[in-house]
This record gives sequence, structure tokens and C-alpha cells, in this order.
Amino acid sequence: MDFSLNQEQRAWQEKARKFAAEEIAPLSLERDAILDPFDAFDWEIIKKGSKLGFRTAVISREQGGHDIDFVTQAIVMTELAKADSAISKTFSQCWKWSHLIAAVCNDDQKERFLEPFLADDTFVLGFGATEPNGGSDNRMPPPGDIRAGHRLAGRVEGDTMVLNGDKVFIANGSIAKLFFVYVRTDPTVPIGQGTTLMMVPRDTPGFRHGKVFNKSGWRFYQNAELIFENARLPMANMVGELNGALRRREGEIGGDLFGDLELAANGLGICDAACDKAIALVRARKNGGALKDQQLIQLKIGRMKMLTEALRSYVMRVAWEHDEHILSTNAGLAMNLATDIIQEVTEIGMEIFDHAGTPMDRGIDKLVRDTFIWSHLAGDSVQRMKVARRVLSEEKFNLI
Amino acid sequence: MYDLRLSEEQIAIRDMVRDFVAQDVFPIATKPERLEPFDTPLAIDLVDAASELGLRTLALPEDAGGAGADTLTCCIVAEELAAGDVDVASVLARTAALGGVLFNQLMNDEQRGRFLPAFVEDSRYHLALADREAGMETALGVDYHRDTGNRVDVATTARRNDRGEWVVNGEKTRVANAPLAKLFAVLVATDAGNGILLVPADAPGLTVTEVPRDGGWYVGSCGDVSFKDCAVPADNMLGPEAADLLAGPGSDFGLPEAQAINLGVGRAAFEAAMEYAGVRVQGGRPIVEHQAIGAKLAEVLINLETARNAIWQAAWTVDNPGAEPTGNFPPLPRAKISQVVTAERIYRATKDSAECFGAMGVMRDMPLQKYIHVSRVFLHTGDGNADTKLRIAEAATGFSHP
Amino acid sequence: MDFALTEEQRAWQMKARKFAEEEIKPITLERDQIADPVETFTWDIIKKGSKLGFRTSVLEKERGGPAIDYVTQAIVMAELARGDSAISKTFSQCWKWTHVIQALCTEEQKQRFLPAFLADDTYVMGSGGTEPGSGSDNRMPPDDPRAGMKLKAERDGDDWILNGDKVFIANGSIAKLFFVQARTDPTVRMADGITRFLVPRGTPGFRHGKVFNKSGWRFYQNAELIFENARIPDSLRVGEVNGARKKAAGDVSGDMFGDLELAANALGICDDACEKAISIVKSRQQGGQPLKDQQLIQLKIGRMKMLTEALRSYVMRVAWEHDQRIHSVNAGLVMNLSTDTGQEVTDLALDIFDRAGAPADPAADKLARDMYIWSHLAGDTVQRLKFGRNIIAHAA
Repeated sequence: MDFSLNQEQRAWQEKARKFAAEEIAPLSLERDAILDPFDAFDWEIIKKGSKLGFRTAVISREQGGHDIDFVTQAIVMTELAKADSAISKTFSQCWKWSHLIAAVCNDDQKERFLEPFLADDTFVLGFGATEPNGGSDNRMPPPGDIRAGHRLAGRVEGDTMVLNGDKVFIANGSIAKLFFVYVRTDPTVPIGQGTTLMMVPRDTPGFRHGKVFNKSGWRFYQNAELIFENARLPMANMVGELNGALRRREGEIGGDLFGDLELAANGLGICDAACDKAIALVRARKNGGALKDQQLIQLKIGRMKMLTEALRSYVMRVAWEHDEHILSTNAGLAMNLATDIIQEVTEIGMEIFDHAGTPMDRGIDKLVRDTFIWSHLAGDSVQRMKVARRVLSEEKFNLI
Repeated sequence: MYDLRLSEEQIAIRDMVRDFVAQDVFPIATKPERLEPFDTPLAIDLVDAASELGLRTLALPEDAGGAGADTLTCCIVAEELAAGDVDVASVLARTAALGGVLFNQLMNDEQRGRFLPAFVEDSRYHLALADREAGMETALGVDYHRDTGNRVDVATTARRNDRGEWVVNGEKTRVANAPLAKLFAVLVATDAGNGILLVPADAPGLTVTEVPRDGGWYVGSCGDVSFKDCAVPADNMLGPEAADLLAGPGSDFGLPEAQAINLGVGRAAFEAAMEYAGVRVQGGRPIVEHQAIGAKLAEVLINLETARNAIWQAAWTVDNPGAEPTGNFPPLPRAKISQVVTAERIYRATKDSAECFGAMGVMRDMPLQKYIHVSRVFLHTGDGNADTKLRIAEAATGFSHP
Repeated sequence: MDFALTEEQRAWQMKARKFAEEEIKPITLERDQIADPVETFTWDIIKKGSKLGFRTSVLEKERGGPAIDYVTQAIVMAELARGDSAISKTFSQCWKWTHVIQALCTEEQKQRFLPAFLADDTYVMGSGGTEPGSGSDNRMPPDDPRAGMKLKAERDGDDWILNGDKVFIANGSIAKLFFVQARTDPTVRMADGITRFLVPRGTPGFRHGKVFNKSGWRFYQNAELIFENARIPDSLRVGEVNGARKKAAGDVSGDMFGDLELAANALGICDDACEKAISIVKSRQQGGQPLKDQQLIQLKIGRMKMLTEALRSYVMRVAWEHDQRIHSVNAGLVMNLSTDTGQEVTDLALDIFDRAGAPADPAADKLARDMYIWSHLAGDTVQRLKFGRNIIAHAA
């Protein structure tokens, strides 16, 4: 048992902390206040972070990346998120899919995509699953129901696949240069057996992005519609087997398993930001009497810190499990926990600003709005039930 | 004794407002451009339309041009309007409530004769209570159950001049309805203690600065009011009971109506969620037919109805002063109890309702995130919940400040 | 970063797990249901556990003990608590005071008590803090000299004379040695006027009184201690006169071992609750459908597991901090968390065992009653205020 970081991990932590404090923090609120959701994005900060390695960090050294382990990934995501959660997510979204490139792409695909990804500071990745008809159904397909789930159709014609349909809410949708898209290549069977994963470059004919969604939180993060009108893709862009995308690979850590850790680590950064703001305010302020001497304030600060440190403990444990290739339900459970904790911590933070007599603080309001996104992608009922079903299917009772 | 039935008049008013909201308010209020919480101007046309229906003068007696509405009825109307547009509801509820208290209770015949006709006839005649000042610190229970006074001093002064007029000097902040008000009831400090002075909006020396909607941290209409040697006739001072009734530490004025507005917002969120959950198919059936969603919606409904109960009890207590329903405790500050209940539960209700919408629950062109934002505003502005709970504890133990 | 256990830690874990399964679980409910709070206790299980090393686990190797590290302590406490929380606590209470003896006692005091402690399977230890007029005040000493502990110790030659009472004292009716805090200077505030004494059972003028009949932790013996001109030699004083409550500057740790102890114990209760709940939903049906297929059940099971694993993560981290001699607020915070987590998890278990028209499942009910004790010693408001204050004052 060891909760400490090694030197390399500490170095990345310092680097991320510095970038977050010096480059991200100054622009976070201003970006959030921009009304147009596309304009809320800014390439400058992405380029700066990319030059420091934050975009390509998980690619192996041999392939030109930094090969950081999962513990380091978690720490970096947390440090960046402390300054701005959505900006942190923009970077880590690239890790999510670069794990996949490294793991399952063939040499041809790696050459066509990995090299430009590494070379271009503005090469970000996206992923497309959600559709108007398929949200919860994509995550927990009703058994045997062929009408349920995503419907973006893919028709194979020789060495080309023709795509027709839409995706919505797609992360980095308006700015990514490469998307991983779930395509329904066999609509006669349920999505579990009829889905193919295709790599879709931005300049694919017949493919474009549409509306950029105007979200209440995570405003920097670009969620957009993807539109496919007879879009033509070479079959060489297929990842894995035809109709094989939703069959789970042995030992695969990328995709959702990484995504669970990602959201939990990012959320932890938000908690750290909220705790710092609240404690600083409490130390400095009076409102009738010194705030720090009020019992209700003391209880709230204690609770914020307690929940934050509990989350940190679990996040680091899950990161370690990922590094040890231990597949357990902890990743999903930690993400669900993050949803609950980050919302409670930021809400309490908001109460503390109320107590201080400055209830309309933009900073804490942004944190609350950012955390609410979790309920709409990570901690909702379907995610919780999926994990619970895995817990119930475990054969023996597994303790540490 | 215990009767949950509304009177025929209450039902008639409720249904009239409900129809008005469904046909005229809701379609406008839920347009995507009006759902952006940071920068939505007040829909003054809707305020005027509601005023035409008599909702501004609701609380006046029938022979004065109103509907004789009591506090409970005003709460019912506020809830219905708020389920359509929270800002429209806030403006009207404030004017109606103030109108009721000023004209029915606090003004003398002479004052009523001067102000009532214009109030009734001008459909844009709104009222504002200017009480809050920048220096007034919320006490946060620093003085909870302590003899040390931490009483609030009013810095806005009213002094008699040679002509016997009252001359007002001071600054009031975040006054609801200030940009629209034609008449202000102003909390002032005089040589004889605090009082409420009636100041028309066109009195020289009175300036209103609208508070920007940036951030959207208020509902309705809001402005700062500045008084510089602002003179009004001697007869504009209300009687000695007015200051305590409207702005004293134990005052419940306006609380039930504000809570009813919050409830209306929560109800709108619930209705939207119920409708969507009945048609959205995932997991093979409309999601309302899944336990996970069913239980959640049930909790929303429980929260709405719990809040409603608390609010209506508080409203009834305002209309029946001195009548403590149960006799279990010293008279409880019911409007403060309902404030905590409503703020916390409606916030939970809007969030849970939004969850049914998946990603759409956080999209700015959809109403759910606005309902959440509004319920958050109610939770975090005004007297904080923590302070309110301590005031309730003081009441329960019979403690009062010197 | 490493959450793995060493071979030695794993060996202790398995030893404790086996003992809990084979010896503790068979008696846990039956003990809980005995009406007389004295009769709930039995020496038999203590002796059995003692022979396996669970009573003397933290005794230093030089004294003949196994000297397990804090990570192992946490694991063993959790495993034993999975069998029965109060039985686990009876063992770990001995570790608590072993730690204190080893840290604060003189060599002469250690020689006097530790050999007997090691040799006698029925040698358990107890504390002596709480009094009728001083509970929360002991944890957060007020400035008024009239407040706080009143059990007084007055100097008489080479001895001290103790007069007063203590209540709710752990192992009060069965311990052979107590660590008693007494007021040696009533003219100053409590924090500056308390001295700690070793009080062996059998000291003339000292006896135990009533054994408290608790709703949970029924095996665990909490009793009144009565001092009527009890004479204690100065050689049994631990530390400086008036020095018992003085804290090193910047020490944010609170009752360090005790915090970890309660959190690890609660973790065991959570594991027990999860295991029972998962088992029942897999086997039980309702309306022809297995319980485990019901969404609401799935959500509850998921929540129980989520909270339990979060607690485990934090407990292990704090145990590691203890082994590194890092003294942070995390010990107190994890204890507070264990109160909230344990209570929610056991309440959810009760929900899951609910059956219309039937009484609550006795095992699930016991777990909830046991967890409720935490609000009355560990997670209560005063404990939370202390850590809130520390954080505001010291957080980096």
C-alpha cells in the first residue's frame, strides 16, 4: 500500500499545475461567459497545452508520445480541471481515443492518423455514438430489441462504406480532425451485434458538423451534431471487425473504462477548486462576525474536504488498477460517486458564498453548472444500473 | 376545520390564469432565445397582458376594482404565472402583494384617495418596496440565541424641512420592480424611529438604475434606487406599524408569494418531465414505465406537494394572524419554514426533472436548465437557508432579541 | 501509487477472515439478542482470538508482539468487524492503549504491565474520559475552568487521590488496566489541567458500576467507573502533570489511531451489509421475478458498493499515512465519512431486506443499530467541527 507519487508523476503534476494556474485560469471565466457556444472555444490554449505534451501524452514513447501511466493521467486531468473542467476534458478526450488508436488500429491506420495527430497541435479527436433516438439505449440496449439504439446506417459497397444519418452532442464535434463513429452496419440484429467502429476524418465527402449545442455548463467544450449524407469512407478506416465494435475486447482499457476514470479525475479537480475558493473566502471574510468562527461554516468546510479527499482516494485507486490491468467495477463506481460528490461539494461552496454575503459569485456558479453536466452523461440512472448489474454478476465477493 | 378545497372564486381565477399562461405566455416564454439565463429582457408585453386580466390589482377589494384576493389566492395566481414565465410572475406578484397591504391596510383615507385611482386605472402602475441597503449585513446566525444585539440600522434618512416635507437621502439596492414602479414604499430612519414613506417615482431627486441581467441572478425586474434631497409631502408617511409589517426582522411580507413562484417553476419542470417521459422510448418502453424514472418522478411530485403544503399553510397564517393551527409550539414563523422547505425541495425537483431529459437537460435552448437556474437563484439569494433555520430555532425556544 | 497488499498483510487478512467466518459469525446475532448487557459478553471468543494474536497485534517485537503495521491493523479490524463490529472493537481497543503505552509510558511502567498483558488472554484495556457532565466538552475543551472533566486527582505525598465518576467507558466492566484522565488543576481551563493515570483493576477505592444497555454494539462493554478516594501512586502517572491534553503545535491529527480504528471497523460492517444484500437479491423472488432484476434494487446495490469501495480507498490511504507517520486531517475526515457511509449502507440494506408485513431482518437491523453508535462517538457534530476548524486554520 502506497499513496505517494514517484518523481516522474510529480513532475507531470507540477507541469500541469503550472499550466493550469498561469494559462488556463486567467481565461476560464471569460470563456464561460461567451454567449455563442462555438465562440466559447479557443485554439490558443489548446496549442499551448499541446506543446507541453498534454494532448498527446498517452501515446507510447516509441510512437512519439509521452507514455504517461494512468496514475499520471488522473493527476494531470485533475490539475487541469481545477482551472477549467471543460478545457481539461478537451485534452483528455484526445487521450481516450488515442488509447484506442494505439491498441486496436492496424499499421496503415496508425500511419494515416497517428502521425498527423502527433504532429499537429490542433489535431483533436472525437467520438460519435449518441443520436436523437439513441442515448440511454446505446449504453444499456434493451435485449433483443432491434429498433433500439443508434441508427446511423453504414452500407458496404466493395471497399467503401456509405454512411447516412446523424449524431448529436458529439464531443469535440465542431473542431475534431478525426472521429471514431459507431455505425449500424446491420439493422436486422440488436446494436450489440450490428455495430461497426469507423474512423471518420473531418474532410470525408458527405460528412459535416451541424449545430453546436449551447450548454449550461462545460461551455468551452464543443458538443455538436454530425451529419452524414452519403458520406463515403474507405473500408480501410474500419477499426476491428465488421459488426464487431460492441463486443468487448479482453483486457481493453480504452473507451469507457478510461472514460470512467477521466470523469472522476476531472471532477476531483472541480472539487479542489471549490474547496480552495471556499476556504480562502472563509479565512478572509466577516459578515457580522468572522466567518471562520461560525459553526455552520466549519461544518460545511469539513464536509467539502471530507468528500473531496474520499474521491481522491478512490480515483487514485482506480488509476492504479488501470495501471495493473485490473478490470473491476471500481471505475464505473468511482465515476458515479464523482457525480454525487462534485455536485454536493460545489453546492456547499455556493452556500458559503451566500454566507459571506456575495451570493452571485460567477466563479462558484460556473463550477456548479459544470458539475451538473455529470448527471447528463455520467452519473445518470442508466450508468448506475449498468455498474450495479456488473456488481451483481460477480461470482465471489471480491475484497481488496 | 380542515378543508383542502379551494373556493369557487379561487378555482375560477386559477383556471383563468392557467388558460392565459397556456395560450399566451408559455409559447413565448419557452422560445429558445428566451431560455438563455444570462441576458433575457423582461417580456413587458406579457406583464401588460396579465395586468389587463386584473392580476396587478388582485388584492384590492372588489368595490375598489380588484378581486378581493387573499394571500393564498395571490399564491395560487403567482404559481400559475410562474409556470409560464417566472419574471412576469415576479413583477405582478410584487405589485399585487404590495398593493394589497398598502391600500387595504397601511394607507389612511387621505393617502388612499390620492394614490388609488391612478393605481387602478394605469395598467403599468407598479409598486416597489425599497428596503435593502448595501451596508446591511446578513447576520448568518452570528447573533443566534445571543443577547448581543446585531440589529440592522437603516442608513436612508427622512428629515422634515421648513415646508414640513419629508426629505429623503440614501441608497437602496436590488429593489424588486424599481425600474417599473410608479410608487415606492421606502424604509427610512426618522428621528422617531424607522418608518415607511410613500415616494412617487417622479419625485425630484429619485433616480433608478436598473440592475443588469448579466448572470441572471434575480427574477422579475430589479434596480438600485438613489435618493438625493428627495422631498415628498408630509402626509406621505405611513403609520407606525408599517415599518415592522413590511420590513421588520419578523416580517413575512411577500414570502409566501415568492415561494409560490418558485413552486410554479418546479411544477413546470415536473410537467415537462412527465410529458417527455411518457413519449421518450428507451429500454424498450416509455421511460416513465421504468422503475428508475418512476421513482424519481414520484420524488419530484412529493417535493412539490410538500412545498405546496408548507406555502399554503404560511399564506393562511398571514391571512389569519394569531391563529396557530396546532398549538404545539410557540407561534412558528411558518413563512420561514416554508421558505426553507420550498427552496431546498424545488431545487431538488428541478434537477431530478431535468435528469429525465438526458443531455437535453443541460442545453440552453431547452427550458429545464433554466428552471434549475431559477430554483438555484431562489436557494441562494434572499435570506440564506442557514440563517432562516436559526431564526426558526429561536422561535421554537421562545427566544427573542432585545 | 499502490493499493496492493504484501504477502504478510494478505496472510493477516486471511487469518482474520477465517476467524471471523468460523468463530465470530456463528455467535454474533445470538450475543446481540441477549437482554442483559453484561451477559452479552463472553470471554470465550476473546481467548480464541487472543491465541491467534488479535489482542496483542500491535505490541512491539522487542516485547514479544507481532507489531503489525497500520495497513495490516486496518485490514484486520475490517475483517473482524465483518463478523461482528463490537467484537472487533473489543480487540482493537487493546491496540489503542498498547499504542499509548508504547508511545508515552516509562520503561518501568511498560515492564510492569506489558508482560502480563502479553501472557494473559483475558487481559484487555480500557480508557477513562467521558463523564456525566463532560462529553463533547472533552473533545472540544471549553475555556471556562468550571467546564469539562471533574474527576479530580489530588496530590498526597507520593500518591494521588482520585474522586469522581466516568461513564460509558469502553471495556469498563472487564478491563484489567485503564487509562484515566483526571483533573489535576481545576483553576485553569480543562486543556491545561488534565493528567493521565494508569489505573489497574483492583485498586482500592476504584470499581466499576453500571454496565450500559446500548441499542447497538451490545457485545462491547461500556460501563461506569467509580473512584472513591482511590489511591494511585505517582509512578503510575503517564506523562507530565497537567500535560495530558496539550497538543504539539500544528498537530492536526485528533485521536489518530481511534479515527482509523472506527473507519476500518465501519468498513467491515459495510462489507457485511453488501454481502448480505447481494446474496438476498440473488436468491429472493418477488412476484415471480428475481429481486436482482428490479431497477430500484440494482440502484441500491450499486450505491452500497460504491460507498463501500470509496470508504475502503480512503481507509487504506489513511492507514498508509499512519505508517508513514504523516499526521493529517484525513484520519478525522475518514472517520466522519465512515459514519455517513456506514449508516447509509446499512439503511439501504434494511430497505433491501424489507418485506411487506414482515419484521425487519434481525441481522440487517443489528448492522444498522451498530452503525448508529458512530453518531454517538465518532461522527457527531463536535468531531466534525474540530476538523472543519483545523482545515480552515491549516489547509495548504
